[in-house]
Amino acid sequence: MDKLIPIAVGAVLALLLLSLSLFTVDQRQYAVVFQFGEVIRVLKEPGIQFKIPLVQNVRFFDRRIQTIDAETPELFNTREKKNVLVDSFVKWRVVDVEQFYKSVGGNEAAAVSRLKQTINDGLRAEFGKKTVADVISGQREQVMEVVKRRADADARKIGVQILDVRLKRVDFPDKISTSVYDRMQSERRTVANQLRSEGSAEAERIRADADRQREVTLAEAYRDAQRVKGEGDARAAAIYAEALGKNPEFYAFWRSMEAYKQSFKDKGDVLVLEPNSEFFRYFQNPQGAQKSK
Amino acid sequence: MMSQHDPNRGRRDGPPDLDELFRRLNQRLARLLGAKPPQGGGDAPEPAPALALKGSLLAAGGVALALWLVSGFYVVDAREQGVVLRMGSFDRMTDAGLQWHFPYPFERAEIVTLTEVRSVEIGYRGSAQNRVPEESLMLTEDQNIIDVQLSAQYDVKDARAFLFNNLAADSDAKDIVKQAGETAIREVVGKNNVDFVLNEGRGQIAVDTQRAMQLILDRYGLGVRIAKVNINDVQPPAPVQAAFDDAIKAGQDKDKLRNEGLAYANEVIPKAKGLAARLTAEADGYRQRVVATAEGDAARFRQVLPEYNKAPVVTRNRLYFEMMQQVLSNTSKIVVDQKKGSGNILYLPLNQLLDVSKPGVSLPGAGPAVPPAEKTGPEAANAGEARSGREVTRGRELGGR
Repeated sequence: MDKLIPIAVGAVLALLLLSLSLFTVDQRQYAVVFQFGEVIRVLKEPGIQFKIPLVQNVRFFDRRIQTIDAETPELFNTREKKNVLVDSFVKWRVVDVEQFYKSVGGNEAAAVSRLKQTINDGLRAEFGKKTVADVISGQREQVMEVVKRRADADARKIGVQILDVRLKRVDFPDKISTSVYDRMQSERRTVANQLRSEGSAEAERIRADADRQREVTLAEAYRDAQRVKGEGDARAAAIYAEALGKNPEFYAFWRSMEAYKQSFKDKGDVLVLEPNSEFFRYFQNPQGAQKSK
Repeated sequence: MMSQHDPNRGRRDGPPDLDELFRRLNQRLARLLGAKPPQGGGDAPEPAPALALKGSLLAAGGVALALWLVSGFYVVDAREQGVVLRMGSFDRMTDAGLQWHFPYPFERAEIVTLTEVRSVEIGYRGSAQNRVPEESLMLTEDQNIIDVQLSAQYDVKDARAFLFNNLAADSDAKDIVKQAGETAIREVVGKNNVDFVLNEGRGQIAVDTQRAMQLILDRYGLGVRIAKVNINDVQPPAPVQAAFDDAIKAGQDKDKLRNEGLAYANEVIPKAKGLAARLTAEADGYRQRVVATAEGDAARFRQVLPEYNKAPVVTRNRLYFEMMQQVLSNTSKIVVDQKKGSGNILYLPLNQLLDVSKPGVSLPGAGPAVPPAEKTGPEAANAGEARSGREVTRGRELGGR
């Protein structure tokens, strides 16, 4: 009975002590145990671990993939001495926590700035070899790959693996942007003019073709019409020849009579006659004898 | 990563039968402690106050133990998946329902929402008007600057990978997805030229960007699936917008010009065809007419000819006089009896003679043979024949048939 209170207190103390000396290493972490600032143990495996409370302390380092995202784009020179603004991000992770801790003294910010520097140098070197066209389109992948490999080789020295270096923006600075806009505008104008002149040309072609078709249609129609008329004329001529050939002289006379009738038939036709024609034979002389002069 | 560890989860206040519970707990604890016998753990009957103290201590211990055990309960929603870590390393996945894990510090559970679709915006925030130029402006292959706004929807396909592989700034790993999106869209746009991106290429670019993002994120083992990439807006940048619009308008102008040409053609060609049809029809009409006329004339002639052959002179004269009568009755006539050998020049003011409808025209004498013509205005029945007693006559009086 008298021992119960000490037992209870002891249990509580024991639990307290236990909680101070036990720690869990998550699989997402490395743990480094320090004793008075010195590294005693490096724990790379997950599990529950003990440390001497108050004497030893633990620092955790993340073993997941981390990102360095350059907040501000950097200016780089390309091979043709053009400035481009480049914005990139880097994926890295700690692979050797001892090395990492030793080289940067556990100061992650220092590690990050060193990695940034490495990447920047790599990009600068690589961009200097490439043209603008290469870096915006054709050889983005190669540039990223080369920079990644170089940076990775360097980063291993501080226990870090570089998994990926990726370019985000590769743009022209404002000064050059203006000239790019000018060029874009003139290109568009060229396109617009070309489209319009193509339109005019095509319209002209269509019109000309329509005119041609009209001419051809009409000419062919004329040809066929003349042919048909000729047929008619020929048939008519044949009919006349057949009928009139029986007495051409009489036909001439008869036809002349018709023609005279048709030719002189209104008041506008003025005939000036001498009264000595056959017609006026009886006009002056009922005997019909022609006056002898 | 947020821990879902919550020691107070599932705690119940005031169970109905405390005494009963405590008693049972005591028995269990006694059995448990039996393994490590407490000092002086005899079963000697103790005095009541001591017994009470002992009981309350045991009860407190029991409650603490119960609470500790209860802290292992956690609930997984239908849209979620639980990931249990045993002593820091992945142990198992758990599905929806009430679940239990060994309490701290042995196991812990983390919960990942699977089905919720998360999305990231590139080039804008919230609405298309709210542009972020440094994200949306990019270069095409032909070194044109273009303004692209896109969004990507994604969900978690592998909760374990999602939890363990990447350190993200927020619990949905939006920052990582967005970085992938930014690099992917620029890569894709950088491989295409401006016209393709602006016009027919939008769908293709969305698909290519989605594929590129998925590849990048799979390489990082993020455990997400890019469900969809939407190219919300593609435009030329503001300073060159007018020029681009004009180029589009030029395309429409081209069509317009072409259509005008077609309209002309559609007017001219049918008209020509119509005219051609008219010519053809007229020619056909002409042919039939001349043939019919010829046939008529020939028939008439054939009728007349036998009669003529019977009495040629009479017929000829008759025809001649008929003709003369008809001609002279319908025309204006001037009979001039000029003596042969007279040296006078005959002058006929024809234009005045023709103007027969004017009354009172006096013709100046052109010679003895031409007295002034006398107009007979009132005698309209005579159809304005100029009569001058001697020389002018009317065919009608010359006896017709």
